[in-house]
Amino acid sequence: MKFDNALKKKLLKRLKSYMNAEAEQLQQEDDGLSKVLKKLKKKEKHLKELIAAERDDDEREMLEQELKVIRSQRKKGITLLSSLRKKGNK
Amino acid sequence: MRNTLRKVILPSIMLILAYGFWVSPDFKEISAGVAIFLFGMLALEEGFRAFTGGVLEKILKKSTDRMWKSLTFGFTAATVMQSSSLVSVITISFLSVGLIGLVEGLGIVFGANVGTTTGAWLIAGFGLKVKISSYAMPMLVFGVMLIFQKSKSMKGVGYILVGLGFLFLGIHHMKEGFEAFQNSLDLTAYAMEGIAGILVFTLIGIIATIIMQSSHATLVLIITALSVQQITYDNALALAIGANVGTTITAVLGALSSNVVGKRLALADVLFKVCAGIVFIVFMGPVMGLVDGISSVIGLADDDYTMKLAVFHTIFNVAGVIIMVPLINPLIGLVTRLFKSEPDIHAQPMYLNEASLEFGDTALEALRKETARIYEKAIGVIAKGLSLDKEDILSDAKLKQVIRVHGKAVEYDIDEVYEHEIKSLCSAILDYTNRLSADEATSRQVSRIRLANQSILITLKDVKHLQKNMLLYIDSENPHISAEYNRLRQRIAKVIRRLENIRSQEVSSTSILSLDALKLTLEKNMGLLHGRLDELIREGHISADMAISLMNDSNYTYSIINSLIQINHNYLKSEEGTETEAEHRIALNREEINSVLSDEREVAERR
Repeated sequence: MKFDNALKKKLLKRLKSYMNAEAEQLQQEDDGLSKVLKKLKKKEKHLKELIAAERDDDEREMLEQELKVIRSQRKKGITLLSSLRKKGNK
Repeated sequence: MRNTLRKVILPSIMLILAYGFWVSPDFKEISAGVAIFLFGMLALEEGFRAFTGGVLEKILKKSTDRMWKSLTFGFTAATVMQSSSLVSVITISFLSVGLIGLVEGLGIVFGANVGTTTGAWLIAGFGLKVKISSYAMPMLVFGVMLIFQKSKSMKGVGYILVGLGFLFLGIHHMKEGFEAFQNSLDLTAYAMEGIAGILVFTLIGIIATIIMQSSHATLVLIITALSVQQITYDNALALAIGANVGTTITAVLGALSSNVVGKRLALADVLFKVCAGIVFIVFMGPVMGLVDGISSVIGLADDDYTMKLAVFHTIFNVAGVIIMVPLINPLIGLVTRLFKSEPDIHAQPMYLNEASLEFGDTALEALRKETARIYEKAIGVIAKGLSLDKEDILSDAKLKQVIRVHGKAVEYDIDEVYEHEIKSLCSAILDYTNRLSADEATSRQVSRIRLANQSILITLKDVKHLQKNMLLYIDSENPHISAEYNRLRQRIAKVIRRLENIRSQEVSSTSILSLDALKLTLEKNMGLLHGRLDELIREGHISADMAISLMNDSNYTYSIINSLIQINHNYLKSEEGTETEAEHRIALNREEINSVLSDEREVAERR
């Protein structure tokens, strides 16, 4: 009985994920957090540009507030990601 | 254009009425009677509303869940009250507040028609007339006393008593007003033989009953006229048919202030009586034979026309019910087609169906779409509840400007929309989720959708509470209180607008996290208001009552905004994925929001 390479790889990957379900889970969480953090970074940059261009005081104040929230969210996200990675390395 | 027309029509009608009052005191009395009667209907509905979902609803449901039970209920009620029209009117108010359905309502009305025949026997046999209208004044007195009580059910009973009192009082004034016409009614002048006589006397019967507001009164008139041989026996029967048709006027009047379901019942009542009337006019000959047959069986003399009239009246109503009960469904179909209900059309779920229930993903999508639809509706209700316009809130116009444009308080019945539209849709969602068999992940998402719907209901209840004082203060002469209430309106409108922007963003743009900025603003504004409130009280700009109202209403505003955020949080979160999960973990909790806020305060103080 012969297996072609693609099928072998696929089966091995499945076996690996079966044997290592927790690691897979951690990887998924890692991916999710990383993607969201990237988006937040992009959003932060965009907000800074908006604040620089905004003339209305009220509107600028609101945008600045949003920026502060995004910074806190990023800070929290980074902490979560690093603790997740530490857990994965153990 | 339509608005201008509306603005013109009302004052014109009022002017015409005022002229009428000036010219004819009788017309004034009749109009006042109608107004009092309609006010009675409103009070009656208010009273029954207090019992929705309670004991009365259970009793009514149990005593009308089969057609024979509804008929018996109507029969007993009409026998006790000696008025089928009063039973019809009360049934209309049951229907209006959703205590019973149209089928049950029709059953009661049909039963009441048979019950009212006992009156003819009492009048013909004993000359007895139960005059329930003499209880009007005590009812009003006891009713008002009960309205002032704290208990909700006591208040409910109070409103029912006051409602009945006003109904009787209204009928009394209408009768008084019509008395001038009644005296000029000389039946002998119209004496006619054959079919022409029957038709003319049917018409006279209708008119006389409308004038006297009671088929019993017409029956007394007929019996008196018959006993002094003012009219022939045929004409008397025609008058009785007319009286039965004419008695529907009370139900029609009652339906004027009722919603579409009440109007359907009134129309069905009219159709029922008109149909029965036509059948009896067509078969007048055989019916008279039947009356004679029954009369001789029960031992009535051939010339005892008054008792024969009672026999006829009973046959007429019993046969009418026997003919109409099998036709009840086509009758309901007809009146429903004639009176289309706008709220009912909206209140039907659009996406929830049996087919989608089979598949978890499709069912979830259907639930999400339905929830989004309810949310859209709820936003419209909130906007109107705040005397604003949804389109304006969601436009690009500056909110301060929007608030200024809508500076006048506009009354809006949130309860009505809540009961007829939002609540029924939310229960449809709940029912659908209960029937859904789903895996663990889907169940989690479904439960979030359920929470979102729950928050929608809470939001509307809060807006209802807030609306009370808002209507009082947004255009108040005290600029300080009016500014504060307009600020509350603006804050809610701002959040609605911001949430709409977040919802219209692509899914990939961290929508859940965007809600955190709103949470921060919510906490910040709450703190600011407390500061301002202290100052307003200290400076004596607002009274203690105003301060208490403002304190309560700022809490309602807080709760409304919080619920709006929660709705969107749960709605957005119901679409599961690794990123959504990550967003949920990153989202700031209340303590974290407050810590951002205190950092901000520190920076501001250092400046």
